[in-house]
Amino acid sequence: MIELLGLLLIFMIIGAIIAVETRDLLASVICVGAVGFGASIAFLLLRAPDVAIIQIVVEVLVLVILIRATISRDLTAISGDREFFGMVVAIVLLFVVFLFGMRVFEHLPPFGQPAIETLAQSPARVYIESGLRDTGAANLVTSVLLDYRAYDTLGEATVLFTAILGALAILRKKARKRKEDREEE
Amino acid sequence: MLYALCLLLFVVGLYGVVTKKNVIKIVISLVIMGYAVNLFLIMLGYREKGVAPIIDQTTEAAKFAQTSVDPLPQALVLTAIVIGLGVTALMVAICIRLYERYGTFDITEMRKLKG
Amino acid sequence: MNIIPLFVAIPLGMAFFIPMVGRKARKLPDLLGNLTTLVLLIMSLSVIGKSGIYWMGGWSPRSGIPIGINLVLDGLSGFILVTVSLVSFMATLFSVQYMEQYTSKLHYYSLFLLMVAGMNGVVLSGDMFNIFVFLEIASIASYALVGFGCRHEELEASFKYLVLGSIASILILFGVALCYAMTGTLNMAHLGQLIRGDMNPPILLALTFFLAGFSLKAALVPFHAWLPDAHPSAPAPISAMLSGVLIKAIGIYALIRVIFNVFGLTPLLSSILTTLGTLSMIVSVLLAIGQWDLKRLLAYHSISQIGYVILGIGLGTPLGILGGLFHLINHAAFKSLLFLNAGAIEYTTGTRELERMGGLNKKMPVTGSTSIIASMSIAGIPPFNGFWSKLIIIMACVNAGRFGLAGWAVFVSIMTLASFMKVQKYAFFDELKKARERVKEVPALMCFSMILLAILCVTMGLLWHSWVVDLFLGPARDVLVAGTNYAATVLGN
Repeated sequence: MIELLGLLLIFMIIGAIIAVETRDLLASVICVGAVGFGASIAFLLLRAPDVAIIQIVVEVLVLVILIRATISRDLTAISGDREFFGMVVAIVLLFVVFLFGMRVFEHLPPFGQPAIETLAQSPARVYIESGLRDTGAANLVTSVLLDYRAYDTLGEATVLFTAILGALAILRKKARKRKEDREEE
Repeated sequence: MLYALCLLLFVVGLYGVVTKKNVIKIVISLVIMGYAVNLFLIMLGYREKGVAPIIDQTTEAAKFAQTSVDPLPQALVLTAIVIGLGVTALMVAICIRLYERYGTFDITEMRKLKG
Repeated sequence: MNIIPLFVAIPLGMAFFIPMVGRKARKLPDLLGNLTTLVLLIMSLSVIGKSGIYWMGGWSPRSGIPIGINLVLDGLSGFILVTVSLVSFMATLFSVQYMEQYTSKLHYYSLFLLMVAGMNGVVLSGDMFNIFVFLEIASIASYALVGFGCRHEELEASFKYLVLGSIASILILFGVALCYAMTGTLNMAHLGQLIRGDMNPPILLALTFFLAGFSLKAALVPFHAWLPDAHPSAPAPISAMLSGVLIKAIGIYALIRVIFNVFGLTPLLSSILTTLGTLSMIVSVLLAIGQWDLKRLLAYHSISQIGYVILGIGLGTPLGILGGLFHLINHAAFKSLLFLNAGAIEYTTGTRELERMGGLNKKMPVTGSTSIIASMSIAGIPPFNGFWSKLIIIMACVNAGRFGLAGWAVFVSIMTLASFMKVQKYAFFDELKKARERVKEVPALMCFSMILLAILCVTMGLLWHSWVVDLFLGPARDVLVAGTNYAATVLGN
């Protein structure tokens, strides 16, 4: 199980590197789709079926949006990267970040022993033990999402509403009533 | 080990955001960073030989409490995924509009702003 | 009926409601938008000095474990609520006529109220993940509002802001995940209880992520790259909101809440904060002096003044915290006034370049005189409000034995004065340009909101000791001074 997950993660990382590095935008978008579906399978392996489903749905939407943005453009192949020096600095810095993060991650509880096992005071323990009695939902994710932490879900819906409203505002045909006289300057 | 791979995915995304100059590439890199964090959260809740946090009639409550994975990170990730979708949609809307204005996705060619 | 959740519910509900009914009558969106912010202002004034905790959905803690999400109203959040409501009311008042230049006012008001709801949500929330969610609402609304004009530079600034803002959000989410891994809880008070004194590496990494993420949102140097683009590009009332309250509510407030009340202020953190503050003050004031775009100059000054706030609070002494918080509300008043002035000038003359203005004082007396008040406030001239808060911060530095910091604070204050003398000279006092002969004063409501803010600057300067400190600042300071006792106050054990 852990080996399988590791392989999947390596697949995702390779997909991510290709997505970031390829010169063709459409290929890049498709690679990010592969990474997303990989994530969905990983969620399934980690016993999170609800998240896996949402991940697939959202992934499809993201792909549609991204392909919509790229496909009808004449210029999908892209020219070079930033200058060489900047690249080297960035890579060295990120490598340091990675090594530092690795050192820190050694202190995390080992994989497979979540906080609910080691810490007595976790609210998640309450959810598992009395979620069914409290909320009547057999699926505890739903009981957390729609009952214990319903306020977060309200926020989530609002984020979506805000983003759509914002996209509509950005994409509207005419933004100003007066002639855009300063545009030409 | 798995956490390290997750971190590597995050760093790949960060690398893309920092070094790429195509706006769609930057969006993609941000999406990848988001995936890495979501995956990390779900991994935190995983329990060895655990079951999904869905109660069925046949298992008894005590045994379920011993084996179920943590439902809280899953709920958080559901929220985070949808938030990520919202941000991506807005970002792509701005990208499309920028393309209309400049005829390119390259940020080095968008230089109305000084500095 | 508990009033606390209404601070989020009212703007949220109206944000959904306005697009539905707004097309019925032409003036309806204006009316509803202003009414909502006015109601919020009255409500926030009515809760001054009160405190309370509201458990969402009635899920109060079970045997000491918080299982639901709580809203916490205490001195600090009440203080920020008042600031947010004050500036947002003035901004909506200003918007009524200013936003006539743009199309689709419906979207504008809806996004505006969503931004207010997001900020109120962040300020009231007692849960780490919930802070992330509401921070995203406020941020997404502000990204869209920055690009509202859809010009080249506005879209570009919006994109830059969006990318950096998203990185900040992802870092904050990562920090929340790390905290959850180590403690198994998301509630801030509970988190504070569980990690007290036990700063293991993952918690420290989480703290680093929070520091970086919230500093990005607050645009502290070296995380400030987006602000000088984003704030000038937005429509003027939005610039006033962004500079006046957004960077404070989702940046400074969240940062100090997490550092003081959850992790506890250590000497190391204190010196990080003062360093960030001093850097922001000095670097951006030097950058500001060379600017000729009025709004861009103001944006750089925002970073510099935010530096004062963080410097004062970062000192960690009661006097320093008091000065920092006082400067926070002062900055909200005078910087939003300055941005509204800049908007008024742009409204009548169509330019933001200082060199193309000049002599506007004769043609626009209200804008001119309010702008002088605001400039004197920000430059720290007695008896205006900016003088007192800067004085308190400098005194706090001296009391703490940090003479170097005090010196820098004085230096930056002088540079600010120089920079605003330049603004006044070029915009309002020089020869009137030929092309500006027919310039008129802006419409009444815009004048009205500028006058209100100017009155606020003056009264806060005159009555600061008897009125402002006792009512607003004292309780807010006490919350921060109490530090990690926050947990005991919230969870009641």
